[in-house]
Amino acid sequence: MNTIPITINDKKLDVDPAKTILEVCRENDIEILTMCHLKGIIDIGACRLCLVEIEGINKLLSACTTKVAANMVVKTSTERIKKYQRITAELFFAERNHVCSVCVANGKCELQQLGYKVEMDHIRYPHLFPHCEVDTSHPWYVMDHNRCIMCTRCVRVCNEVEGAHNWDVMNRGHQVRIISDFNTPWGESITCTSCGKCLHACPTGAIWPKAIVQGQLEKKPEIISELMEKRKMKL
Amino acid sequence: MSKKKLGTVWLGGCSGCHMSLLDIDERILEVAKLADIVKSPVVDGKEMPEVDIALVEGAITSDEHYRELLHIRKQAKTLIAFGDCAVMTNVTGMRNYFNLKDVLDTAYVNAISNDKEGKVPDHPSLLKLNEKVLPLQEVVKVDFVIPGCPPDADTIFYVLFEFLNDRLPDLGKAKKLKYG
Ligand code: SF4
Ligand code: SF4
Ligand code: SF4
Ligand code: FES
Repeated sequence: MNTIPITINDKKLDVDPAKTILEVCRENDIEILTMCHLKGIIDIGACRLCLVEIEGINKLLSACTTKVAANMVVKTSTERIKKYQRITAELFFAERNHVCSVCVANGKCELQQLGYKVEMDHIRYPHLFPHCEVDTSHPWYVMDHNRCIMCTRCVRVCNEVEGAHNWDVMNRGHQVRIISDFNTPWGESITCTSCGKCLHACPTGAIWPKAIVQGQLEKKPEIISELMEKRKMKL
Repeated sequence: MSKKKLGTVWLGGCSGCHMSLLDIDERILEVAKLADIVKSPVVDGKEMPEVDIALVEGAITSDEHYRELLHIRKQAKTLIAFGDCAVMTNVTGMRNYFNLKDVLDTAYVNAISNDKEGKVPDHPSLLKLNEKVLPLQEVVKVDFVIPGCPPDADTIFYVLFEFLNDRLPDLGKAKKLKYG
């Protein structure tokens, strides 16, 4: 295999040029925070948590959507990056309504984990307190827009893995919402196969099964990644 | 080292944070060696006297809370937002997604259990709810926050013990952050 030399956090590595910075970091135990990334589905650079500094480039770039290049010099954990990660985490909490104490995902939520990692003790921005729908029309699952962070993992998993494309995105800015079919109740969807993949892909308490209560949510996003690995191997 | 003064108060919360404070159990003796608890809902109901540390549970929901918090800010050297409601409004803030009139009507006028005469209580001696519930830091300067619903007793003790020994606690570094 052809490899190219790159440097990440002063560590010299020889890597596969087809890989993203994030893939290389994960393979080399270099921690990068991510939210919209889920191994196995296409990266879109939505959450802006995986930002890295690259020598010679002024902007911070998302590691999940930036391919490695020969002699690239990358830094993953500078004060500048940490500052933006903390802001991003706070804005997730300020933008929708996160009441962890009554949430199904409490204690098992990727967004809470993110808050702890960036050492968020409070939110410095005023909460928007938007009015959000809770769609309970599906016989087994609930979609609670209060807790959605618009990572679109559900959209991509439903489209790329299940092939159903029930979910999509409507509006822009703070009015952006995930929609089922053409913005109709999930329970009336003609595309959803009720496979439950979106539920496992979702990093928060936004999509959950009706059979559980506060703090009981068990998600296994890794089953999506494993499934895609197996498909590649044509097993 | 002279003994410090500690005050605790319960605004728009459920008292759960104070229950968790009581859960520090016998470690309250450690606290008592370093501080006098001069005001607390578990002690009495007087106004907040001058204190070194004020633990404030709950969000700001009414004119009364607003006045009380301004008073506490004057009296306290260190004001600590105590629990998720104080830090980010939490359950107390769930009414913020609706307008206040709808919320009150739902409870007092339109509730299925109401008779036809149900009306929103408006006696002058009652507090007036603010349009929006606010976390403490949007009303006064807050010196330290302890998130959690409720915060763990261990975390509460850690924070008190550090402050009482003139050290600044760091929940992030101490791996004691928790929401919910
Ligand atoms: S989704 Fe996560 S961060 Fe949001 S309320 Fe639920 S547990 Fe808290
Ligand atoms: S249950 Fe399956 S088909 Fe239905 S929306 Fe979720 S991922 Fe798509
Ligand atoms: S519902 Fe879940 S997976 Fe879908 S965009 Fe919102 S947070 Fe992401
Ligand atoms: S993980 Fe890269 S932008 Fe979200």
